[in-house]
Amino acid sequence: MKLYKSIQYLTLCIILAVFVMLFTGADALAKIRIVTSLPDFAAIAKEIGGNKVDVEALAKGYQDPHFVDAKPIYVTKLNRADVLIYNGLDLEIGWLPPLVTGARNSKIATLNASGNVDASSYIKTLLELPTTRIDRSMGDIHPRGNPHYLLDPRNGISVAGGIAARLSEIDPENASYYEENYKKFAETLKSKIEKWEAELARYRGTEIVTYHKLWSYFTEWAGLKVMGTIEPKPGIPPSPSHVADLIKDMEAEHVRLIIAANYYPEKTAKLIAEKAGTTFLSLPASVEGRNGIKTYSDLFDVIVSEIASALKEQTGAASDHLSHNGG
Amino acid sequence: MNWKGNIIILMVLSIITSPLFAYEAFAQGRDEQIEELKQMMEKMQDKIEDLEEDNKVLKQQVKELKNEKETITVEQTGRTEEKKSATVEETEGAEEETEVVTEVAPPQQPGFLGRVAQSLNPDISVIGIFAGAWYSRNDPYVFAEDDPQQTGVDLQELELAFQSVVDPYFRFDTFLSFKQDGVEVEEAYGTSLFSMPLNTQLRMGRMRAKFGRINQIHTHAQNFVTLPLVAAEFLGEHLNPTSIEVDFLIPVPWYMELSALGGSPDVETPTFATDEENANNLAYLLYVFHLANFFEVSDSLGLSLGASFATGSNGTGSKERSNLYGADMYAKYRPLRNSQYTEIGLQSEFMWRQADTPEEKLEDYGFYTEGIYRFAKRWNTGIRFGLTDTNTPVASEDGGGEQISASSSNLVSNRAINPGETLGLPGRAYRLSPMLTFRPSEFSQFRLEYDYLNQDYAGNQHAIFLQFQYAIGAHGAHPY
Repeated sequence: MKLYKSIQYLTLCIILAVFVMLFTGADALAKIRIVTSLPDFAAIAKEIGGNKVDVEALAKGYQDPHFVDAKPIYVTKLNRADVLIYNGLDLEIGWLPPLVTGARNSKIATLNASGNVDASSYIKTLLELPTTRIDRSMGDIHPRGNPHYLLDPRNGISVAGGIAARLSEIDPENASYYEENYKKFAETLKSKIEKWEAELARYRGTEIVTYHKLWSYFTEWAGLKVMGTIEPKPGIPPSPSHVADLIKDMEAEHVRLIIAANYYPEKTAKLIAEKAGTTFLSLPASVEGRNGIKTYSDLFDVIVSEIASALKEQTGAASDHLSHNGG
Repeated sequence: MNWKGNIIILMVLSIITSPLFAYEAFAQGRDEQIEELKQMMEKMQDKIEDLEEDNKVLKQQVKELKNEKETITVEQTGRTEEKKSATVEETEGAEEETEVVTEVAPPQQPGFLGRVAQSLNPDISVIGIFAGAWYSRNDPYVFAEDDPQQTGVDLQELELAFQSVVDPYFRFDTFLSFKQDGVEVEEAYGTSLFSMPLNTQLRMGRMRAKFGRINQIHTHAQNFVTLPLVAAEFLGEHLNPTSIEVDFLIPVPWYMELSALGGSPDVETPTFATDEENANNLAYLLYVFHLANFFEVSDSLGLSLGASFATGSNGTGSKERSNLYGADMYAKYRPLRNSQYTEIGLQSEFMWRQADTPEEKLEDYGFYTEGIYRFAKRWNTGIRFGLTDTNTPVASEDGGGEQISASSSNLVSNRAINPGETLGLPGRAYRLSPMLTFRPSEFSQFRLEYDYLNQDYAGNQHAIFLQFQYAIGAHGAHPY
C-alpha cells in the first residue's frame, strides 16, 4: 500500500511539474512582441511592458523620422509583431504604410486592428493644426498638426497611458502589471517634469531659433519663444537671403540660442550662430539620438540641462558684457 | 414776368429747403426717440452681459466634459464639437440676440477642417513627367514607349493614382497612365491584408510583375530619363499582366519572399504573347516567379539579391515558348551617423532569354548597371551602362544595306500583331547615360541626361534630355 501511495504522489508531482513547466514555458513564449516606428515609443513601451514584452524600434534615434528607408527586413519584423506603435499625424507616411501592407499581419494591418496603435490619438492638444486653407507652397506641412508631440514630456505620460491601456486589452491577465508600471512611469516622469520646469523657469520667455518646426511642443512646454526657423518653410533648405534676414532679426531681438536636432546639417546653423553671436546646440531629438540616452526621461535630462547651461552661459556673458560697458 | 420770376425763385427755394423743413418738423420727436433708443440700448447691454455669463458657464461645462474623456479619438473630438455647436445653436434659438452669441463662441475651425478631412475617398495623386529632348538623328531610335519620342518636348507619362483600403481584408491600388497615344491601366490590383498560413499574401488584378527590380519601379521613381535597354527589349514598357500572384514570406532571419504569378499576357510585350492556337491550354499562359532577399549588412548598408523566371507562349507559332531568366542586385549605402543625405546606390540587373520560333531557337541577353550618388539633400548624380546582345542575330551584317535597329518596330514590338515576324535582336547595342538630378522639394524634380547609343548595324546616336516632373495630391511612399 505504501509503495502504491508513494507512486501516486510521485505521479501527481510529475504531472504538476510538467504543468508548471508547460505554463511557464508558454508564458515565456507568450511575450507580446511590440514593434515601434521610433525608438521613443520603444523606450516607453519597455517601461510599461517590462518583462512581459519584447520591444524593437525600426528607425534609429539619430535619424530624421521623416526620411527612413523602407528596408524590406522591416516587413519581416512587422510580420511577427503583435503590436505596432507609431507616431501618426503623417510623420511616417513616406515609409511605414507599404511595410504594414507587406507584413500580412491582421493584428496590425488596419487602423482599428487590435495591435495598431496610433499614439497621436492619445494626445489632447495638438499644435499647429491648420485653421485656414493649406497647400504645399507652405513647404512639406502636416495637415493634421505638428507631429513632434513627444518633445513635450507631458505627452509622454499620455502616450504611456494609452500603451498601458492597449496592452491590458490585448493581454488582460497582466492588466494590473501594466497599470502599475504606468503609474510608476507617470509618477517618476511627473516629478522629473517639475525638476526640469524649475531648471528652465528662469528662462521663460527667452527667444530662440530652431532649425525645423520640430521643437514647437518642447518650447510650448518650456516657455521658450521661437523667434524663427532656419528652414524658411518645413522641409525647404535655407536660402542665403533667408539666412541674412534671420541674422538681422536675431541681432535686433537679441536671440541667444539656436537649437537643432542632431540629424540636421550643422553648417548653416553654425554659420548663423557665429554671425549673430549666439550659441548653437545640436541636440538629440529622440531616444538613442546620442549614446547613453536609453529612456524617455534620459532624453529630457540631456535636452534640458544643455539648454539651461547654454542659456546660463549666454546670460552670464551678456551681463558681463553690460557691466563691462557700464564700467 | 416779375411774379413769374418770383414764383420760380420761391419754388426753387422751397425745393432746396424742403429737407430742412422736414427736419425741423420732426425735430421735436427726435429727442424722444433718442431717449427711447438709449433705454433700449441699456436693456440690450444687460442682456448681452447675461448671455456672456451663460456662455462662459456653457464653455466650462464643455471643457469639463472634454477632460472627463481621457482618450479622445479624432472621431470623438468631432462629435464633442458637434455637441458644442448644437448647444450654441440651442441658446441661439432661445434668445434672439444671434450675433452676440456667435461672436462669443464661433464654431471651431480645426474641428470643421477635421471633419472635412475625414472622408472615405481614396488617396489621389497625379504625377506629370515631361521631357525636352534633342536627338542627333531625324528618326531617332527609341526603345520604350515612355522614352521621349523625338526632338522637342514630350509628355512621357501622366500618372493618376487612386489608393485606399477596401475593407478589413483588402486594399486596392490603381494607377492609370496617360500617354501621348492613349491611356493604359498600368496597375489596378487588390492586396490581401489578413494573416494566412505560410505568411501568404495575395495580389489580384493587373500589376507590374515581380520580375527583377526595374519592372516594379514606376517611371517617376526611376533614376534615369530612359528605360534600360534590356528592360525595354525583353519586358517591353513593363511586364504587367492581368494575373493572380501569391507571395510567401519565408521564415528566415533575413527577408526572403517567394512570389508566383499566373496570368494572361494581355498586354503586348516583346517576349510574351497569347498563343492563338492553344489559347485554352493553361500551360501556355504567362507564369512569373521571383525570389527576393534582403540582408541588413549593417545599419548603413543594405543588400538586395533576387532571381526571377518568366515563361509563356511567345505567339510566333503554335506551342512556341519564351523563357526569361533574370538576376538582380541592389546595394544601398547610407551612412546616417555622418550625414542624413549622403546616399550611394548600386543597382544591376541581368536577363537571359530563350525563345523558340518556327524558324530557329533564339538566345539573347542583356544587362544594365547603374550607380547613383546623392551628394546633397536635393541633388544626386549617376551613370548607367546598359547592353543587349544576341547569340543568334536576326539580321546579318549585310542586312540589305538598310540600317536595322533593335528598336525597329517590325523586329520586336509589332511581332504579336504581325505573327510570323521574327523575334529577337539584330546584334549588339549598348548605351551610356550620365545624369544629374535636382529636386527642389519632394514633389518636383528636374533631370538632365545625356545618352550615347551604339548599335552594331545602325551606328551611333546622341541624345540630351531635360526632364521635369511634378507630383500633387497624397504623399506617396518611397520605394526602397
